[in-house]
Amino acid sequence: MSTFTIEEVKKTFSNGEIDEEILKGVNLSLREGEITALVGPSGSGKSTILTIAAGLQKASGGEIMFEGQDMTKMTQEEIRHIRATDFGFVFQSSHLVPFLTVEEQLELMLDVSETKLNRKEQAKAIDNMLKLVEMVHRKDAYPSSLSGGERQRVAIARAIIHRPKILFADEPTASLDTKRSKAVMELLQELTRTLNLTTLMVTHDEEMLPYADRIITMRDGYIVE
Amino acid sequence: MKIAWKEMKKSKTKFVILGSIIFLVSFLTFIISGLASGLSQDNAALIKDVPQGQFYLDKDADKTYNLSKIDEGVQKQILIDNPDATAFSVQMGFVNDTEDKQYSVAFVTSTESELFANVKEGEIVLDSSLKEDGIKVGDVLTNNQFSGEFVVKGFVDQQKYSHAPVGFIHMTNYQEIYRVLEMQTIFIPGKDAPTLSALDSFSNKEFLNAIPSYSAEQMSLNMIVWFLVIISGMLFAIFFYMMNVQKIGLYGILKAIGMKTMSLFKMIWYQMLVITAISLALSITLSQLFSFVAPEGMPFHLTMDTVLMLSTVFMVVGFIGATISGFQVKNIEPLQAIQQGEM
Repeated sequence: MSTFTIEEVKKTFSNGEIDEEILKGVNLSLREGEITALVGPSGSGKSTILTIAAGLQKASGGEIMFEGQDMTKMTQEEIRHIRATDFGFVFQSSHLVPFLTVEEQLELMLDVSETKLNRKEQAKAIDNMLKLVEMVHRKDAYPSSLSGGERQRVAIARAIIHRPKILFADEPTASLDTKRSKAVMELLQELTRTLNLTTLMVTHDEEMLPYADRIITMRDGYIVE
Repeated sequence: MKIAWKEMKKSKTKFVILGSIIFLVSFLTFIISGLASGLSQDNAALIKDVPQGQFYLDKDADKTYNLSKIDEGVQKQILIDNPDATAFSVQMGFVNDTEDKQYSVAFVTSTESELFANVKEGEIVLDSSLKEDGIKVGDVLTNNQFSGEFVVKGFVDQQKYSHAPVGFIHMTNYQEIYRVLEMQTIFIPGKDAPTLSALDSFSNKEFLNAIPSYSAEQMSLNMIVWFLVIISGMLFAIFFYMMNVQKIGLYGILKAIGMKTMSLFKMIWYQMLVITAISLALSITLSQLFSFVAPEGMPFHLTMDTVLMLSTVFMVVGFIGATISGFQVKNIEPLQAIQQGEM
């Protein structure tokens, strides 16, 4: 069942007197338990559609339906609430908070998402999540002492600790070498299936495509395949 | 506000530097404020210690205390109509001890009153600061303009005027020394003091400002105090602004994952509050200790009321400074932060 659909989404950037149309009417539905990979050359609009879908920027036209509600008609506060509770984000860089330990990064996300857990339940949830991403042994480490792969694992754990419905991953392996990239993708694939996540991933790395359930190719602001 | 505290713990140097600056500025503010208050006491304790009421000066004196001469008839009538009223005069002068050592004093004389020490002819009651110069009860003092002698009858605490210790003398002796028959001022205690058409009326505060040099001295010191308070507010604004610039990426990511802008403001306020509270606690403690170790002649008088008032002002100014810097956070776009890469 699709809980997230994008219909005829357009995006135009004004550059002085010139209007540049980046997205020219994109239609897309995401499915639960699947990784949908968006691929395409630079400037094709794949990152733009991901950030619009994630509520990080506004569309110039079209509809984004999430659980029966049009996100384009929501207020900034309503979109923020959805980002905090129903969405998870994994970025190209891990973007961890530099002064928080691994464990505290997850605690922060549970606070932001206003997940109602008592202290004991919270500790257990964090412990389970760190086991899932195999980072329990580094729970007291600060980001500066982690390797690139470890940081990205923590970033994934932070993105899903509050059990979001949709996971947005923007080039999650771009800053990693091939071995670590594959490990991260295996983890994303496993989590998407076991937690029944709906994952939308942007990538330019063809080696990561076998991990996706669906591959959508974009070119010049359109979905072509 | 765990995140705010964690950041402070992890970036100790940055916050200790800001805290040290706030501590130094607030400490300096307390010291100058204590000095301003001490000088104020030194300059006008005699007047400051009288209860609320109205002071009256001769209209021809042009609001200048020293030039005031109240007509004897007017004075007599006012004292009859207002039994609590007191007529008094203050003039600077000197007394000499038996070894001909000269002491500067402010001679004060008044009609019979509970507000000022009442002395008989040939007697003088001095401010207790003169005890430190070796003057004792029973000592005999002279004055060049006075034909007789003054016998020291006692001492009073904290009675100074124009930075000199006060010497209460009898009206007859005063009139001989200054060759005047009229009194300079009439004071009527109470909130409902009457309006007297023949005289100019002043509240306690207005009268203090009529004392030569008082307002000029206080104004310059208070100006320094308030400048320091404003500087501390600006320090907060600049410091948090610089920190916010460094943390645009972090704030953007926190916003992207759904953190409320208000939570980011709370983070800044919490940090401001902790820094200010610690800095103020230190500077309050040290400024109180300073009053014990201050050099003997230094007029330093820092009351808890002043400390609490200034501390509140520091908090408010810090809050405003931190909030102004926070508006920058409000405008941060999450997308911009994501595109900037690793923090």
